[in-house]
Amino acid sequence: MKTPSSPSPSPPSPSPLLQGTLDLLILRALSTGEMHGLGIARRISQITRGAFDVKPGSLFPALYRMEERGWLASSWGESENRRRAKFYVLTRAGKRQLRTETAEWGRVALAIRAALETP
Amino acid sequence: MTRGGPGPDGGRGGREGALHDELESWLSLRTDELIAGGLDPREARRRASIELGGAEQVKESVRDVRRGRLLEQTLRDVRYAVRGMVRSPGFTAAAVLALSLGIGASVAIFSVVRAVLLRPLPYREPDRLAVLLHRGSNPTSPANFLDWRRESRAFADMGAAEYWVPNLTGAGESESVRALRVTAGLLPMLGVSPQLGRLFVSGEDEPGRDRVVILGDGLWRRRFGADRGVVGRTISLDGEKYEVVGVMPRDFDFPVFWAKGRELWAPLAFGARASSRTGFSLRVFGRLAPNATLAAARAEIASITAGLERRYPGTNREVTVTSLPEAVVGDIRPALLVLSGAVGLLLLIGCANVAHMLLARGAARRREVALRSALGATRSRIVRQLLTESLVLSVSSGVAGVLLASAAVRGLAALAPAFLPRVEGVSVDPVVLAFGVALALATGAVFGLLPALDASRPDVAAALRQGERGSSSSVGRMRGVLVASEFALAIVLLVGAALLARSFLGLRRIDPGFRAEGVLTLTVSVAGTAQAEPSRRGGFYERLLEAVRSAPGVRTAGMINHLPLAGDIWGLPYDIEGRPAAAPADSPFATYRVVLPGYFAAMGIPLRSGRDVRSSDRSGAPGVVIVNESLARRDWPGESALGKRISFDSEDGRPLWRTVVGVAPDVVRSSWTEKPEPEAYLPYLQERNYLERPGSHFQYMTLVVRTQGDPAAAAASLRGVIAAQDPAATVSEVQTMSHVVADATADTRFYLILFAFFAAAAAALAGIGVFGVVSYAVSRRTREFGIRLALGAGRRDLVAMVVGESMRVALAGSAAGVAAALALTGLMRGLLYGVGARDPATIAGVALVLAAVALVASWLPARRASRVDPRTALQAE
Repeated sequence: MKTPSSPSPSPPSPSPLLQGTLDLLILRALSTGEMHGLGIARRISQITRGAFDVKPGSLFPALYRMEERGWLASSWGESENRRRAKFYVLTRAGKRQLRTETAEWGRVALAIRAALETP
Repeated sequence: MTRGGPGPDGGRGGREGALHDELESWLSLRTDELIAGGLDPREARRRASIELGGAEQVKESVRDVRRGRLLEQTLRDVRYAVRGMVRSPGFTAAAVLALSLGIGASVAIFSVVRAVLLRPLPYREPDRLAVLLHRGSNPTSPANFLDWRRESRAFADMGAAEYWVPNLTGAGESESVRALRVTAGLLPMLGVSPQLGRLFVSGEDEPGRDRVVILGDGLWRRRFGADRGVVGRTISLDGEKYEVVGVMPRDFDFPVFWAKGRELWAPLAFGARASSRTGFSLRVFGRLAPNATLAAARAEIASITAGLERRYPGTNREVTVTSLPEAVVGDIRPALLVLSGAVGLLLLIGCANVAHMLLARGAARRREVALRSALGATRSRIVRQLLTESLVLSVSSGVAGVLLASAAVRGLAALAPAFLPRVEGVSVDPVVLAFGVALALATGAVFGLLPALDASRPDVAAALRQGERGSSSSVGRMRGVLVASEFALAIVLLVGAALLARSFLGLRRIDPGFRAEGVLTLTVSVAGTAQAEPSRRGGFYERLLEAVRSAPGVRTAGMINHLPLAGDIWGLPYDIEGRPAAAPADSPFATYRVVLPGYFAAMGIPLRSGRDVRSSDRSGAPGVVIVNESLARRDWPGESALGKRISFDSEDGRPLWRTVVGVAPDVVRSSWTEKPEPEAYLPYLQERNYLERPGSHFQYMTLVVRTQGDPAAAAASLRGVIAAQDPAATVSEVQTMSHVVADATADTRFYLILFAFFAAAAAALAGIGVFGVVSYAVSRRTREFGIRLALGAGRRDLVAMVVGESMRVALAGSAAGVAAALALTGLMRGLLYGVGARDPATIAGVALVLAAVALVASWLPARRASRVDPRTALQAE
């Protein structure tokens, strides 16, 4: 997906996101409670210390896909500054998915670190 | 797609609307954020829009997520599958080979079945057309035909056709043309139209008006350069002038079960023959009346012929009414169905083979599958991916199979022999291609589903722990069942092939009554020449025979009107001296042969008793006849036929008696396996039909020459001898008798070749199946073997153990196969000769052969197991 470049405020240059990674990050961002799309993007930027800046062009497709898989549920509500917004929340399946993916990611990360550290 | 307001995520329109609102909402929230960061509202709005990257684009990619996910995943799966196939070329080659053999053979046979059985005959309502013949295959007489046509109500129309081979002269070399004389209404009754000109009109089958012809497309192109102005021109046939009135289209052929490949049609004018009840030369065709059924027509014809039989005893026995499609394909249908079954079995074996190869691979890939499902892939997603892999495999095999089939179809058409009706229409056309594609997809699903379901079992943790060793016992059982089924299917095919091989050997052992080796036959026609004059014909053939006998390389020569196996069959009723007229149903009837001296010697037919005809047996001398053993046995059982008298003809109400001077052995008649029928051989020089009748049926004879060297090589010099006697005489159907015999057994040979090919492929696939499974099992069990060796097991024990395990599977399969063969080979009974469909020796032999295959296929990998070094084996995994 081509997105017009936008000035990014974060110091480390944002990395392209792997598909599985984005799902995991969205699940993680929502683990603290319901959030609208922009809120999720902000939260991901925050918890990855600015490493990932999620553009709407990747965010919304991911949200719709995850909702179709039954990991997320959504409802319309009002934002903190009284704008209408669609809020997302983790379903039980979403919470389970977060646990599975976290564990799997841990294994993969460990394996990759081990691989990289092997002389 | 409609754009609705914000609402519940109901229909698609609602969802699309919700997406629009959500993006609007994102835009306002982001604008607010940027304003809070210090930008002015317009600039903030602009910046937010840029970040959104075009609302439509985002929407499109969200839509893609829904709509395109399937396609995208499928493409990814296909790419992945292709990469996988390329990475393991051995596996891929084996799988594609197994499947493309099965698919290719199936497509090839289907193309034949389609052309021969499924495509309707190219006439209007072909199912309403019927053929009327005596005893299913014999022609009838003009008077009979005319009576049937007049009295029948069940048939709206009836027509008759008669074999005709005129000499076409003028405009190039003279040539014998395969033609047919037909009653004027016959072609219109078929519901066909000419490409040029017209069909015959009513009344053109009256003498005097019958000098008109219709050309076939082939003859029109060959002899008349496809000249559209040919209609109205006059051509010369047998020296008579005929006006061309029409040209038939290229695909027109009639009739299709007998006298195929006719190229010219002329009216059949009976004239004085209209009252003949003894000249049996007509094939009769009818179109059922609108409300009549075939059964009603049969009943009606039976009552009509019974009435005629009472009035004219001995002339109307057993008329068979067959629907035309049945007459065309009736004999061939069971054979083609058996062949279809055989290729189906071969395809199933191919599928079973690939299925267990995939199972083996699936077991090795359990870890990969487990990882994918751990990463969130659902089971259906994984099954879909694995199914895609098998479909990619089967579609590649389908492509290879169709290529194979189009080569095979050309081969089949070449191998296929005259006996296969409509074989010229066999081709790989779009329908056949569609069949191939459907077959490929179906096979992909059949052999792919089981391994896919197995590999995707949601036993993630166990699989990850087990790793590649995770070939569970249920998979082992499944693979055992697959290999056993391969053996069962292979047994059925091999039994079929073996039965056909034995039939073929049996056929080769049949004594046709003559010695075919070293004999050349040529049909010499005098039609249209100066020799056609009845008074000159006999003299011409006698002189020709003398000249041929003294030609170099000729040992002996004779002539006959209709050659066994290759010639026409005419029948003639006769009376026996001293016996009252027999009951009509039993009145004697003999195949009518007319010979010149030397025929029996040239054909290598040793007379059982008596003598050959001589040149002194001519008109004026006492009448003689030679009969075959069937006739002698029927009419004079237990006594000698020599000296008895029979009569085929009468003069002024008094029978013309002929004395039996010789008894010939039974000789095969029109087909190789047919039961012998009574036959009578009349001397040409005493036979009034041949000496006096002007009809063109009596204007050709077949020269039979026994040569010293290769008979085929004598053809050219013999043509020279004939031309020296009369350059205008035409020579046709030059063939060795061995060739005639090969043609007569061509059908069994054809089935045998196909079955042998299928069976060899089946045995090879079953062997490969065992080899693959045992090799795989051996490689998985290296550690176990190491332990056994370390614990003191002998290497021979290991081999025996491995071979024993696979033999149990093979034997179980073979037992099932023998049971299936016993149940199924009955279907082939019609194709067999001289061997029972359940011949125990054949079945036992086949089972032994396959057991040997299994033994070798498991012994090879088992030997490897025994060479395991215990130390390395124990370290393995």
